Amino acid sequence: MICIDNSEWMRNGDYAPSRFQAQADAVNLICGAKTQSNPENTVGVMTMAGKGVRVLVTPTSDLGKILACMHGLEVGAEANLAAAIQVAQLALKHRQNKRQQQRIIAFIGSPVKYDKKVLETIGKKLKKNNVALDIVDFGESDDEKPEKLEALIAAVNSSDSSHIVHVPPGDNALSDVLLSTPIFTGEEGGSGFAASAAAAAATGASGFEFGVDPNVDPELALALRLSMEEERARQEAIAKKAAEDTENKDHASSSNNDSVMAEAEPATNAADDDKKEQPKDDDDLLQQALAMSMEGGSSGSASVADAAMAEAGAVDPDLALALQMSVQDANMSSDSDMSKVFEDRSFVTSILNSLPGVDPNDPSVKDLLASLHGQGEVRSFLFLS
Amino acid sequence: MAAANTAAAGTATAAPAPAAPAAPVQVPRGQVDLVDFIDWTGVECLNQDPSHSIVNALKQTLRDDEGLHLASDSDEQLLIYIPFMQVVKLHSALFKGPEEDGEICNSCNASCVITGPKTVKLFSNKEHMGFSNVNDYPPSDTLDLSADHLVENKPATLKYVKFQNVRSLTIFIEDNQSGSDVTKIHKIALYGTT
Repeated sequence: MICIDNSEWMRNGDYAPSRFQAQADAVNLICGAKTQSNPENTVGVMTMAGKGVRVLVTPTSDLGKILACMHGLEVGAEANLAAAIQVAQLALKHRQNKRQQQRIIAFIGSPVKYDKKVLETIGKKLKKNNVALDIVDFGESDDEKPEKLEALIAAVNSSDSSHIVHVPPGDNALSDVLLSTPIFTGEEGGSGFAASAAAAAATGASGFEFGVDPNVDPELALALRLSMEEERARQEAIAKKAAEDTENKDHASSSNNDSVMAEAEPATNAADDDKKEQPKDDDDLLQQALAMSMEGGSSGSASVADAAMAEAGAVDPDLALALQMSVQDANMSSDSDMSKVFEDRSFVTSILNSLPGVDPNDPSVKDLLASLHGQGEVRSFLFLS
Repeated sequence: MAAANTAAAGTATAAPAPAAPAAPVQVPRGQVDLVDFIDWTGVECLNQDPSHSIVNALKQTLRDDEGLHLASDSDEQLLIYIPFMQVVKLHSALFKGPEEDGEICNSCNASCVITGPKTVKLFSNKEHMGFSNVNDYPPSDTLDLSADHLVENKPATLKYVKFQNVRSLTIFIEDNQSGSDVTKIHKIALYGTT
């Protein structure tokens, strides 16, 4: 159960951009970490100030709901820590799954007006009911606040399940400081989410293959992976047949293709900056590919190819780009080695199997595969249903 | 609290042996010890001291060990939840606590002796109770233990009629003999039939 401090003290800007915003970011990060680390975890959110001590969302594992409730929170009034902890306890007591451990994470940014004794009795009551407490001490810091909060944690703590983190104002964002604390890493000794988030923050680029997070954009990641594989296969074949490739047109076009592929590779390997340039290139390449496919090759199959491309493109422009690249190869050199690759049934079916929404047993797909061999020409038709 | 416990442990080792050995446990006729039917995965105890946990008082081998006991943590109350693997009938319960001249409780101002439980309330088939709602329900039975009960290994007979169909038992220890902040229990044994 997360207790947010949305009192007047949160308007201060000593944590960028404002205390309240830094706190909200930290809360979002914690919710994500908790829900990811264990599918049975639930998180609830409540406010300590503002309109009063109230529960915004009861413990749930739905991250969207939690993030949505953080919207439109107003800052004002004074935080009531004792009442907030009581309400949090009550909310935890009425959780759906009684086997879950109870924990309260409190962000305390305003001064604490209770004295040590009161806090200690609160702590004892929490310990008696087997509730763990994590405190993030930030914002206002008067002389006694750290002591009081330490006393509270000492009263609650039973076998090291409760923690306190003091975050002084400064350059580091509240969330970054919290990432390395036991509040994030939790009892089980680290969660994958926290670890990868920390790694991402540290290196400045995601550690994922192709610079695209498969969780965020699976289609793009898939398309990029496909084009990488095709390029790799093509490069191998070209290396074998390098001596035979004497036509200037082929050279020029394959070097054009190489530059296109080379462009794709740095884009796939490097960080996000390159991806901004790609959309512009996409359009150019699209025009190029359409023009070329109009000129060369048999018009019938080309127009069908276009239709297929348009259909695929309508669904996903990035996927279309990958398809364009593979079709370009086909149009460039008629006895391209891609044909050999694509005639390899197992390769095609394996690609088809790995694509979402394509069922290789679908009769239309089967007909296609048959026609592929019949034509002796290379097209890859992907119907996205 | 931790300091009090370690001090208490220190004095325990130095304390003299009990004056008279306790009589051996007389299992009531026709009843069995229900320890074999306890579902250990579900056993919970609220407000227990982590270093002196419920298993010390319940488990077969540990409960007979004089050095191991269950102690309460923040205050003297304890809430023990014991689920059973099958439905049982409870006949009697035995609580074994420390001697009258046990160690002094360091945490409260009056130098009172740490003692065993006095008022014990039993609830049958009530799951996941907390200290806040434990007084909302009438108990299935209430035991008022005396010092003799705790020492003489004599099981206290329960209202058999109320415990015919027990799937889980909740034991609420409300206070102890001396009124100190810590309640200590050496052994809890439950007798009955299946």
